[in-house]
Amino acid sequence: MRWIRAIVSLVLAAAVFWGLDNRHGTFPALGKLLNPFSGFWQNGSRSDAVPEKLVVPGLREEVRVVWDARHVPHIFAQNDHDLYLAQGYVAASLRLWQMEFQALYTAGRISEVIGPLGLQRDRFNRRFGLPWAAENAVRAFREDPRTREIVDAFTAGVNAYVRTLGRKGLPVEYKILDYKPEPWTDLKCALLLKAMSYSLASYNQDAIMTQAKAALGEEALDRLFPFFPPLVPPVIPPETPLDFTPLPVPAREKPAEPAIGAAITPADSLLSGFDAPPSGTFLMPGFQTGPGIGSNNWAVSGKLTRSGFPILCNDMHLGLSLPAIWYEIQLSAPGVNVRGVSFPGAPLVIAGYNESVAWGFTNGTDDVLDWYDITFRDDSRAEYLHGGEWRKTILREERIKVRSGATVVDRVIYTGYGPVVRPKDEPSIAPASIPAGAALRWLAHDASDEFSALYALNRAGTYAGYVAALKTWDCPSQNIVYADRDGTIAIWHNGKFPLRWKGQGRYVLDGADPRDEWRGWIPHEQAPHVKDPERGFVSSANQLPTGPGYPYYIGWDYASFERAARINELLADARNVTPADMIRMQGDVLDVRARAVLPRLLDILRNETAGETERMCFEELRAWNFEWWAARIAPTVFDELWTEIDRSTWQDEKKGDMKRMPVPASEMMVDLIMNSPEAEYFDDRTTTERETLTEIVQRAFHAAVANIEKRLGRFGEAWKWGGVKDTSLGHLGQIPGFGRKLPEADGVGHVINAIDRSWAPSWRMVVELGPEVRAWGNYPGGQSGNPGSRFYDDFVDDWAAGKPYELVFLRSADEPNPAVVGRTVMRGGK
Amino acid sequence: MTAILVCLLVMLGLQLLTPYWWWVMIVPFACGAAAARSGWKAFRTGFFAAGLLWLGSSLFLYLTGSELIATRMARMFGLGRSWLMIVATALVAAVAAGISGYAGYAVRAFVKKSTKNEDIS
Repeated sequence: MRWIRAIVSLVLAAAVFWGLDNRHGTFPALGKLLNPFSGFWQNGSRSDAVPEKLVVPGLREEVRVVWDARHVPHIFAQNDHDLYLAQGYVAASLRLWQMEFQALYTAGRISEVIGPLGLQRDRFNRRFGLPWAAENAVRAFREDPRTREIVDAFTAGVNAYVRTLGRKGLPVEYKILDYKPEPWTDLKCALLLKAMSYSLASYNQDAIMTQAKAALGEEALDRLFPFFPPLVPPVIPPETPLDFTPLPVPAREKPAEPAIGAAITPADSLLSGFDAPPSGTFLMPGFQTGPGIGSNNWAVSGKLTRSGFPILCNDMHLGLSLPAIWYEIQLSAPGVNVRGVSFPGAPLVIAGYNESVAWGFTNGTDDVLDWYDITFRDDSRAEYLHGGEWRKTILREERIKVRSGATVVDRVIYTGYGPVVRPKDEPSIAPASIPAGAALRWLAHDASDEFSALYALNRAGTYAGYVAALKTWDCPSQNIVYADRDGTIAIWHNGKFPLRWKGQGRYVLDGADPRDEWRGWIPHEQAPHVKDPERGFVSSANQLPTGPGYPYYIGWDYASFERAARINELLADARNVTPADMIRMQGDVLDVRARAVLPRLLDILRNETAGETERMCFEELRAWNFEWWAARIAPTVFDELWTEIDRSTWQDEKKGDMKRMPVPASEMMVDLIMNSPEAEYFDDRTTTERETLTEIVQRAFHAAVANIEKRLGRFGEAWKWGGVKDTSLGHLGQIPGFGRKLPEADGVGHVINAIDRSWAPSWRMVVELGPEVRAWGNYPGGQSGNPGSRFYDDFVDDWAAGKPYELVFLRSADEPNPAVVGRTVMRGGK
Repeated sequence: MTAILVCLLVMLGLQLLTPYWWWVMIVPFACGAAAARSGWKAFRTGFFAAGLLWLGSSLFLYLTGSELIATRMARMFGLGRSWLMIVATALVAAVAAGISGYAGYAVRAFVKKSTKNEDIS
């Protein structure tokens, strides 16, 4: 019987071994993970200690890294190569897992790490051409000797760090998911730029607008979605004179198409559905695109400030995540001393300041993505019609390796425009509305070299230097605000813009007709811009960039008016401005939309409240000062009321088989409420009576109160806006317990302090220029990507409370500063 | 007692030198095969040696900077308290090592008997 005992116990031991050595679904390999000598126990805060000496192979001369009390590295190198090599090393030591995970995600390779759960997203990112875009960018990097040097040095720095890691030193996420970092490459740097372009320059409503056009006609849509909407102050003040001679604008050679009266039937529709992605699809927080995501920036001229020098402010609204999207850094070498924030996976400082100038971003939100309906010759899709000829398509084979599964091969068809993201006979593969059978023409696919723009911006000393730097910033287009210590302020609505007729690309275009193509580019010096305007400030909040005086068409689907209007009204009255005033302004939560319409709505509702709850809601609204504080109930009620008014006004306008009606911007609704209460849009077409604003608002109010009560129970504590909004910072890999909730955060997407549910001001910065530049900043996260570090999320509470830190900016590595807590000397190996 | 101590020290050395977790199965197996006088004793040696090693080392790390990561891991696993991660760590090692120690003894007992049989024949 001994052999039975031996075999059974051996098998049992082997099973235990196998069980603890491997992942099971999403359950980690316990043996590796729990091992105190190399598992998660090693990822404590001991790694926060700053090493005094490091050998970093590849360094040419000594590099000194000074660490301040918030764990911000200040790197002092003696040449550019060493500077970016050290940046790569330091970035990886802080955020290695995040850098790589974001790159893999963008590349459509996340299934290699998380298994079949990632397949849907991988397929989509590849179909959308994100890896292809990154490959094109890499070609551009390699052609420019300087960009090549920067990116190669950064890459070498990351890899020098990766090589120091045994299993013990790996970030904890590698241990939980049980995999290892692969070598860093320049392609990964490019992928992170493309992730940003996806986030900021891919949102579009072309498919749904095309469907609406068929149902309602172009004229009706031009009224609902005007190119110059009411109430929106353009980024560039409309009275700004043009300082260039415009090129001839392409003419639209095809007449507007009349409505067919009903939407195209689903059978021949471009849109066979707006299916939600299959449940269980992995979506990385921070990698999202959609309406409303926006940012603020402004610069105030010395005429309006107490110090007499300009103040520049910026808060960029992006998806919330832990680790945070940004980390802070100072980079100093001969010819450059720059401080600000960067993406962990990319070299240089992205937004920040140096000793002479400061700059910051808001998304341009222009239309640089068009869809072209493709006529294939036959089912092989080997050829498509273009200008009366058959052209060949190119097949790109995407091999998606799936962890613990078979490799999935996806064949993506590329036309001269770009990839066919979703062939006609396939179900929807993504949350975005992708028109079936159309090819994607997207600026982010084109080779471009944004790093060279950042390199020059990091070193800019004058307005001319800033403008020259912007020339190679193609995509995503941005409102890049500027101020310098000589007193100049400016803003450029900057990017590469195709030359198009007005409205071109608002609807799906005809891929067979060459007249529908982009026809060249707007010259860089003709991009919208303004320098030192009369009013003493420049500002942007993702809104319409220009008034009708600007000669070119660059987009239509911009942010609604609220943030821009509020910023401009506050700055118009500003005198003797101090940085403290600007910090307070970044925390402003006043809603100009509510302020505009609420008195009118309350008039309508005055005698209309039925029951105790409705009366209390009415009282809340009446007593409200239009500020979105987390502790107030009024914002919850207004939010729901607005949603209901929007829904009951627009949803019945759709016709035929339209799946949904594109919703006009809030300024359109405000304008209707204030100026056209009898407008036919308010009539509910599903009833026989003729409704006006009055009936719609009354119904919306009853519905809103009932909705909230149903969702949150009795009027009370649970109705407070903070809890309802439930702002959360999810972990990038969706690991439970590694994220955070912030029910105490004030604000909402359309006020200046735009802390929304899953996106928010990702970096707030106030810079006062002058002989001694001073700056304040904060972001929702912490410098370390290690969830076991005290620097993982230590800024979050102060950020939520609107308290920025004064930023340490050193002139030299030896400068004494009470905030300095450690110094590292890096030397190259032999 | 000596067996437990020897087994523990050997594992400690190997774990400090290499990143592999499975020393807590290999070493008890070897101990069980080489020295144990019964299956139960082999199990006990592995159980206590590995359990104490992982308990002690995780407790040390917990007290010197790893409490925060233990808290997050406990949340990830749905355990209410961070110190439960120490218990889980020790238990996993103890059980795996115990089973492995027993298997080591059982294999030796089988091999020994077979060799004896061969000697007779």
